[in-house]
Formats: sequence, structure tokens, C-alpha cells
Amino acid sequence: MKTRILVAAMLVMALGLVVAGGGGQSQATGPQQVTLDILAYGDNSTREGQDWNRLVAEFQAANPTIRIESEMLYDQAYHQKVEARLAAGDVPDMAYMWVDAQGQAWRDSNQFVDHRPFLNPDFYDLSLIDPMGPNGEIFQVPLGTSNITSVLFVNTALLSELGLSVPRTYAEMVAMVPAATAAGKEVVAFAGAEGWVWNSCLLGTVVGRVSGDGNWISKAMAGQYKFTDKPFVDSLAFLQQMVEDGVLSNSVVLTDYGAALSSFVNGNALFMLDGQWRAGGIEDPALQANVQMIPFPALPGESTSVANSASGVTSVGYGLTAKGASDPAVRDAALKFMEFFNSPANTTTRLADGAIVAPILKNFQAPADLPLLVKEKANFMGRMGVTSNVVDAFVPGEANNVLNTGMQNIAIGRATPAEVAAQVERLARQ
Amino acid sequence: MGKRSRSDAVAYVSMVGPALLVYLLIVAYPVLNSVVISFTNFNPIAGTAPEFTGLANYRRMLQDPDFWHAFRNNMVVVGISVFGQIPIGFVLAYILFRKLVRGQAFFQAMVFLPNFLSTIVIGILWRRIFLANGPVSRVLQAVSGDPSAQFTMMLYPETVMIPIGFALIWIYTGFFMIIFLANLQKIDLGLLEAAQIDGATEFQVFFKIIVPMLASVLLINAILAIAGSLKGFDLIFSMTTQGIQRDNAMVLPIFMYQKAFLDRSNSVRFAYGAAISNAIVLISIAIILFANFVGKKLGAQEDM
Repeated sequence: MKTRILVAAMLVMALGLVVAGGGGQSQATGPQQVTLDILAYGDNSTREGQDWNRLVAEFQAANPTIRIESEMLYDQAYHQKVEARLAAGDVPDMAYMWVDAQGQAWRDSNQFVDHRPFLNPDFYDLSLIDPMGPNGEIFQVPLGTSNITSVLFVNTALLSELGLSVPRTYAEMVAMVPAATAAGKEVVAFAGAEGWVWNSCLLGTVVGRVSGDGNWISKAMAGQYKFTDKPFVDSLAFLQQMVEDGVLSNSVVLTDYGAALSSFVNGNALFMLDGQWRAGGIEDPALQANVQMIPFPALPGESTSVANSASGVTSVGYGLTAKGASDPAVRDAALKFMEFFNSPANTTTRLADGAIVAPILKNFQAPADLPLLVKEKANFMGRMGVTSNVVDAFVPGEANNVLNTGMQNIAIGRATPAEVAAQVERLARQ
Repeated sequence: MGKRSRSDAVAYVSMVGPALLVYLLIVAYPVLNSVVISFTNFNPIAGTAPEFTGLANYRRMLQDPDFWHAFRNNMVVVGISVFGQIPIGFVLAYILFRKLVRGQAFFQAMVFLPNFLSTIVIGILWRRIFLANGPVSRVLQAVSGDPSAQFTMMLYPETVMIPIGFALIWIYTGFFMIIFLANLQKIDLGLLEAAQIDGATEFQVFFKIIVPMLASVLLINAILAIAGSLKGFDLIFSMTTQGIQRDNAMVLPIFMYQKAFLDRSNSVRFAYGAAISNAIVLISIAIILFANFVGKKLGAQEDM
């Protein structure tokens, strides 16, 4: 008898679990509601992540018929989740998307969809959005204009203190090494412990300058050039030269992303080489007033056509997936949310936070009270020449990983530029 | 079947069934599916039907020098765990058990403390310790008088496992110490006192009485250490930066992760990743069987 009671109790409990689970689902959507499944990018501990949560709450409060189910992940966890969800066929309606080599999974699964027919030309300035496909397609609404990945931040106060001035050429930077060393300062703070930093923040600019062609990398991937060609090998050799000259310290490969910023903001380095987004990490107003953002100084013998060039890439942003676009109700809800997300007020916040260089909105008026470094970004864009390719936007997977590690090995003298170039060429063609 | 045994069977099935079902769905099915996938060109992102490719993924893995590099590093981690963490944990437990130091509770808490911390936090902590101009480099600069001296072991494949091994010992020794200590406390103290009355030294008590009595615990700890070492991912991943450090310190789980999730140029990366996962399982089973064999030869039984 006791056994029967026990069995009956367990069955009731199991049934209760099933009903409870099902009940939760049935309450999720009302008959009039549209549910948007969004894969978001960010981290709850960062401003970007906190803003996302706030925006979702505000949008839902203003649009009770649209329910947003968002999953927010950051960095590698995000990319891994994209792979896992697409592999499992669990495609979100909308997602934060890269459209270059990092967004390969979206392309492979045919989830990119051209947004041009859906975007309101009175709201977005379509001429400011980089084309993302061979026919000018727009696969996502970028957060801003091109993302400049290679900027030299200059501590002008420290330079003055040492009797130096903002360099125009690489030779002038080399000439600063003795004074910096004597003062116990680094010349360039650079997070060389992170392979991607060599790739995104330095190599693309150097290849563009050395080759005289900002699109050298994309042309190499298209088969027009080889990575074993002289411009690429010379570009890698230049990285080695920077370490030998003392422009990059001999400990550069041990300096992680946080340490490089820390070195610069604490006045231990004359310059910092990083992406434009790093301006947001310079929080001290006194330091901001003394920071100038410039393109990397002229390399020896560089062509005037690439003077002041810097590497840049199409900005990331949120886009509809093919699955989301296939349902008109979901598509309209997503487009409505995108306009809210990119509203002038929200874009201004992003601009002030340093997340973007410039907005893509029609007739956008930037407020006058933006932080100093945001204004300095505008100055930087005025100083900058053409945009050159960012290597990891074109070179995929294993070839890119080998290149990242190879540049670090070159810096510590464990590999030659020719060896690394040969490995990249072999893997890029596989 | 009698009425009694029928009701027993119903009770048994109703109690074991749900857990078994969950196990089959969540553990057994993915494992078996992973084996199947590893013999195909499975590419779910492209949505194409998988085709049988035989041992192609396994052949590719064995021909990949990175696999052997990761395998070698994993064996170093196994060695550090079995021949570092376990003996040190055993000796520390013995010192505490025999009250050879004062403040046993303090030392016990301190050695076990890392187990309360997130492995990722510990990894970041150790990464900072070994960074350029980090605490270790500062000590080197002070000792050598060279302000440019840096701790560079993290940069070279020949030396990277030394600082990582140090961190591994720091974290996990306390875990094994607690297991040893719990088992030491089950030993009849009268036995040890009798040995000492008969003239046995502390050294003899340890090797002639304690070690043989805890042989089975040693075996269990060795199995735990081996299994933990082969699936270890988080500490090494968080302790290294992306690029040369992580490549140098690559162990099999990181190798699998990089090939399955990051190598977007490989259209069959999931199938390849499945093959690597299965290889990790096979290597674990082989080493655990070997440890069991050695343990049995030494008279240890898997009971605690």
C-alpha cells in the first residue's frame, strides 16, 4: 500500500512538473503579441550591456504587444553561441552581427538578409552605411560609420614634459626612444600579449602603408596577391623592426589588454596604439584634455596615396536574420525596435560613451557637450587618409590564428617574417 | 511474478526510470551522437546531410602537430596532478593529522581556500602575476638589478607549463589534502601509538603504516586527478592570453574548442571537434585503466 502511495505521489509530481513547464510557455505570448528572439552582444557589467537591458525594458513598456526575449553574451561566448544556435537550427530573429570573416556562420547558414528594402531612408543616412555584400547589400544596421581599428593616442602633456612633439614620421618616433627610456617610460603602450591586437590595431595599417594599397589584404584573399609577396613580408618585418628600435618594448608580448591601457592612462607611455573604441577607457578629464588621436606616423618610403591611412572595418550592429525577416509581423517588430535602438537619443549616448566614431542617422545633430575625446575623434577623422583593410576581416580561421601567433613569435625572435608569411599563404588557400 | 515483486518492480522503475531517462537524453545520447558525428562530414550550419567519411577526422587529428603538442601538454598536466598535487596533498594532510605544526585549522583553511574561488578568477589572478612588470617580474628586477628583466616563461612552449603547473598545484592540492585528511582521521590512533611504542620513527609510521592503509585512497585520488586533468579547460584558458601563450599552453580540451568553434574556415569543424572529444575520452579511459592496473598491482582497491 505504501509503495502504491509512493508511486502515485511521484507520478503526480512528475505530471505537475510537466504542467508547470507547459504553463510557463502558454503564458509567454498572448494572441496579439509578437515575440522577438534576439541574440544580443554585451556584458551586464559594462555600460553597453546595462544600456541594452534598459532599452529592452523601455521598448517593451512602450510597445506592450511586442515581447523581446534576448540572450546577451560577450566576446568568445557570443561567437560560440552563434555557432551553437545555428548548428542546432535555433536561429534568432535578430542578432548582433559581424559581416566580415567573423560573421562567416551567418553567411554559411544563409541567414544574411538584405535590409535595404526595409530601412527608412528618412531615418537612416544610407550613404553612410558601408556596403556589406557584392551588390551593395546591407546585412545589418551598423552602430556607426566604419570602425577605425588603428589609432595612435598621444599623451601631449608627457611629450611636452620630455621636450618632444607629436611625431609625423616613424623615424621621429624612433628618435624619442632614448628620452623615453631615460625617463623610465614606454614609447608605445601596446597589448601585444593579445594576438588579435597585432592583427586589428597594427598590421592592417602597416600593410596598407607598405604596399601602397589599402585593399591589399582583400585582393590577396581574392588571389590577386600572395601573402608571400614582398609587401606582406616587409610589413611583418616592420613589426620586428618596431621591437628592435625600442618603439615597442621587449616585454610587449607580455602586455595584456588592460595593462596597455593602464600604462597609458597612468602616464607610463608616450603613446598607446589601439582601436578608436579605446578612447572610452580614458576617463580622466585632465588626461582627456591632453590626448590627441592621430593616424600612425609615416613609414619610410610610403606612398602619398596611403599617407595617414588607418585600418577600418564595417561597424557591427543588429540585423534581421533570414528567419526573422520571413515573418512580416516579426520583421516589422524588429525594424521598430531597431529604430528605437538607433534613436537620436540612444545614438548620442553611444557617441558619448565612445562606442562609435560617427552615427549613420539622417540629419543627426551632435550635442555640443560631448566629452573631449569624442570631439577628438572628429579631429582624427579629419586627419585620416584612406581606410585600409583590417586583416582578420578577410583572412579566415586557422590562417588568421597562425598569423596572430606568428606576429608574436616574430616580435620575440622565434619566427621570421618569411616563415609566417608562408604559413599564412598555405592556410589561406586551403 | 508475485504481487509483492510486481509492486517492487513498479516502484523500482518509477524511481529509477525518470533519472535514467534524463541520463540517457542528456548524457548518453550526446556522447553516442558525438561518436557517430565524428565519422561524418557533419555541417549543420550549411544544413547539408552528413555523409560517412570513415576515419578521416581521426586521421586529420593524428596528422595535426597541434594535437600532439596539446597531448604532450596534457600529459604534463596529468604528471603534475598525479606526482605533484597528490603527494604534496598527502604530506600536508599527514602533517596536519599528526599535528606536526601549530594552527592546523588555519593551514587547512589556507591550503583549501583556492577551492572556494572561481577557476576563472584564479586564472586571471595568475595571469596578472606573470604579466610584463607583474609581481614576478618585479621580483626578478629587484633581484637582478635589471629594470628591464621580465618573467618570460609564458612565452615559450618549452617553459610555459612550469608556471601553469605551479598554479595547478596551488589550486588543487587542497582538494586532495582534504580527502586524505578525512581518511587519515578514520585510522585507529592506537595503531600508530603502538608502532611508536615499538620504536617506529615518524618516517616509518608514514611509509610502513599510513601509506599502505591509504593505498586505495591514493588510487581514487589518482583517478580523480587524471580525469580532471584531461577535461581541464578553464584555468589554462583564463590564465593565458589569446595567441602565443594559449597556443603554447594548449591542452586537448582547448585544442578541441579552437578547432570546433573558432576555425570557421573548416566547414566540418563540428565533426572534427567530435573526433577530438572522443579521443580525449579514449585517452582518459586508457590512463585510468592503467592507473587501476598499477593500483591493483600495489594492492589498492577502489574503496574508501
